Amino acid sequence: MTARRLTVIDHGRAAPVDHAAAAERFIADEERTDWHDGALWFLRQRRDAAVAMVPDWESLRENASAIKEHALSQLDTYLEQFERSAIANGVEVHWARDAEEHNRIVYGILEQRGARRLVKSKSMLTEECGLNRYLEARGIEVVDSDLGERIVQLRGEAPSHIVAPAIHLRREDIGDTFHEHLGTEKGASDPIVLVAAARAHLRERFLAADATLTGVNFAVAETGVLVVVTNEGNADLAMSLAPVHIASMGIEKVIPRMADLGVFLRVLARSATGQASTVYASHVRAPRSGQAIHVVLVDNGRSTQLGRTDFWRSLKCIRCGACMNTCPVYRRSGGHSYGATVPGPIGSVLTPGIDLKKYAALPFASTLCGSCTAVCPVKIDLDAQLYRWRQIVTKAGLAAPGTRVVMRMFGAVVSRPRWFEMIGAVVRGLLRAMPHRVMQKVAGPWSRARELPVAPAQSFREWYRTRETPS
Amino acid sequence: MTLARETILAAVRAARPPAVSYPAVVEGREMAAESGDLLGRFEKEARTAAADVVHVERAGLKRMVAEWSGYVCAAEFGVAENGAVWLPGSRLEVRSALFLAEQVLVVLEKSAIVRDLHAAYARIDMTAETFGIFIAGPSKTADIEQALVIGAHGAKELTVVLVG
Repeated sequence: MTARRLTVIDHGRAAPVDHAAAAERFIADEERTDWHDGALWFLRQRRDAAVAMVPDWESLRENASAIKEHALSQLDTYLEQFERSAIANGVEVHWARDAEEHNRIVYGILEQRGARRLVKSKSMLTEECGLNRYLEARGIEVVDSDLGERIVQLRGEAPSHIVAPAIHLRREDIGDTFHEHLGTEKGASDPIVLVAAARAHLRERFLAADATLTGVNFAVAETGVLVVVTNEGNADLAMSLAPVHIASMGIEKVIPRMADLGVFLRVLARSATGQASTVYASHVRAPRSGQAIHVVLVDNGRSTQLGRTDFWRSLKCIRCGACMNTCPVYRRSGGHSYGATVPGPIGSVLTPGIDLKKYAALPFASTLCGSCTAVCPVKIDLDAQLYRWRQIVTKAGLAAPGTRVVMRMFGAVVSRPRWFEMIGAVVRGLLRAMPHRVMQKVAGPWSRARELPVAPAQSFREWYRTRETPS
Repeated sequence: MTLARETILAAVRAARPPAVSYPAVVEGREMAAESGDLLGRFEKEARTAAADVVHVERAGLKRMVAEWSGYVCAAEFGVAENGAVWLPGSRLEVRSALFLAEQVLVVLEKSAIVRDLHAAYARIDMTAETFGIFIAGPSKTADIEQALVIGAHGAKELTVVLVG
């Protein structure tokens, strides 16, 4: 087994995330950056093609958004209804206020059953809670069964994308990892060969599992049905084999009715990968004979976010990853640069609410272009929320020193028309008079991959003053 | 444990955003509905999801099943907009075998194809089921460099047999 430990997001204790510095390290490999950018843009294009096939896409989004907003506005009622339904179905329901309590509950269930081998399918919540490390420290063998998650687990890394956890890696990297851990031939990097090796390796784990843990995509209050979607079939297989199924879910995953699934499953896969449907969409209502199902409802900061007027709508998120795939900053900085469980635009509006100081840089890891908002299937106003976090971060005195100084200077200039005009004239003069090489230097890192603008002959104000007055 | 439950519910209650009413869920205007060709759309979408789709006369079904070496099941219905089939748990012998088998054969009545997922959920009744699943094509992954590979953990081949 590997001696390396999982990199677990340690909220509150670690140093503040320096997104720019981490992004700098990522883009040092230009070829890899271009590939990463293209791979994610490919997903965005596939999403666009799939969306174009649905003539009523915008009303679907409206509905998906409205159902989520409705559910969140009565979340306590729906949680209670879900709990009643689940208990009536023979499912055991647990409540966890924070990550530690969640981990303790999961370990308690495993311990009670004498379970030593846990097979997990994708769950960003357990990443958020640092569950793997917690269980491994207590002697539980934890195997992530989603291929991408297994890859990063073997490498001792965290997922860099919520749908495509190993998108930061090239096939050669994965070939090396599999050679080391699964004994594949050295240098073998054909995805077909690597997937076959992973299939054989994980089959053994599925068959030997004492328990399985899955995430939850949707939990239906009226019936207690849990919906878990995958393309690989890992969650579906594990739930069908293991005698114990633990389903960990954030409290915001509850939706009112079965009919709502028609809306959400129509938008989820199309937004995530451009598929009309995921390969599998398991609906679990009650334990099969001899099986036990436990649901763990986790708050861990969600009720606090729900109480924030400007940010509660971020809880509508259905974790499709579309905002990451389209984000020009995410595509060129990589998921790890965010230093958070959920990266990209949605992560940058969720995490400052957990620890403002640690994640103060993330709302600035955006161009505020609004592309994320445009693709979000539940219409979260991501760019507006990022902008709002910037104001809060700045007011709290946590903005990067450079940003603070520049913004103060900029504020001083644009609020004084005379200064603005004067400085504009000076810069235009310099652009014309100074050697290009010098000005590129002055413009700083901004100009590394950009050309300086050509100075116009006159400013707008100059033109405005000299224009012919229309009769 | 009860303390956690009460704490969370109280926090959620206190944090409630202003009431938002439940929307009138739209019945999607799907393309298949406009063209009326549910079967054609289903076949197209199922093939896009890498399923094999074959037409078999009812008389020939027994022979086909007899010669099949993998898992066999019968879907309750198919969905035109995404090529998925709905399999209620009560129709599945040994549920795990549906995912363990390399080849899966799903029998589907041509007349049992609905337009979209809205219509699907209008039909689905889980009160007597412990489990139900939509399946669209064989198991897949694109976790290595976005290269599509068929047969991650579940079926490597999924054949939908249309009868009737």
